[in-house]
Amino acid sequence: MSPRRIVREARARHIDFIAVTDHNSAAMTEIVAEAASEAGLAFLYGLELQTREEVHLLAYFDEQRPCAEFSDTVYALLPDRPNEPAYFGDQVWVDIDETILGYEPKLLVNSLDLGFDEAVRLVRAYGGLAVPAHVDRETYGLIAQLGFVPAGLTFDLVETVSGVLPDGFGTAVPVCSSDAHQPGHIGRRTTVFEMNECTVEEMVLAARGVDGRTVACCLDERRTK
Amino acid sequence: MTVADVVDRLGLAVLTNESDLGREVTGGVASDLLSYVLGTGAPGQIWVTVQHHTNVVAVAQVAGLAAVLLADGRMPDEAARTRAASEGVILLQSDERAFDLAGRLYRLLAEPR
Repeated sequence: MSPRRIVREARARHIDFIAVTDHNSAAMTEIVAEAASEAGLAFLYGLELQTREEVHLLAYFDEQRPCAEFSDTVYALLPDRPNEPAYFGDQVWVDIDETILGYEPKLLVNSLDLGFDEAVRLVRAYGGLAVPAHVDRETYGLIAQLGFVPAGLTFDLVETVSGVLPDGFGTAVPVCSSDAHQPGHIGRRTTVFEMNECTVEEMVLAARGVDGRTVACCLDERRTK
Repeated sequence: MTVADVVDRLGLAVLTNESDLGREVTGGVASDLLSYVLGTGAPGQIWVTVQHHTNVVAVAQVAGLAAVLLADGRMPDEAARTRAASEGVILLQSDERAFDLAGRLYRLLAEPR
């Protein structure tokens, strides 16, 4: 997806806070951050990890640098199997004007050689926010793959498709996001945060309801009008 | 047929207490989705999988499975082995692939007594 197109679609749907979380790579976040900044959109850097158990885990960062360092660390845990463009499409790196700068050689839809519990700890060690993705889906969600939340792990925010958390997440709060794989998906699910600024720390405070902050899933697709 | 018979006939490694192997084996289940085994696994089955997350132990215990057979050389970490030992879950292991193990287990269980 083109960086400016992502931002344009988000703006058209009255979204003012976005994150880009490509599969197992944060290579494109810096460029989209630039486009978001141009348009006055708040932005988080991120990745969607696929762990050894084929669980999807979102990792969000406020700053580019720790996110890039984290991305380098997990990239080394991705198998060397090359992408097959005929099947998966080209994995391009582009600049802000959509000029193709290169191609990601490794197949990014693969699983990392990293277990789910370790992945959560690693995200946190780099200062990121770990959010299990689409936990209520039958594919690639924590509950489908691992049956239930592993003992000893807790989360503030958990992403869902339905806006309803399955049992076992304790005091975690559900969020919804578009999980957009193409521009038309942007804004199909959103979350309304009432908080002081668009940071990981504020999102956590909102999840905990500190000082009147709130989090609410929004399942109505955001319209352009 | 007991777990000990299966271990013997398929040449499996036993990663937990050897004294528990008298359990009766009635069938098998093959899946890497823990939610699937939680939903469909039945007491007495041996579960063939490449998953080795600690949750595998809990699923085996809840479903009352006879044992978990980790295929393709997969090794559980220390936490999973400790949990298995304390919950009385038998962990078996082989370097063979899941398909081959499931096939051999199926043939073994189909043998006339």
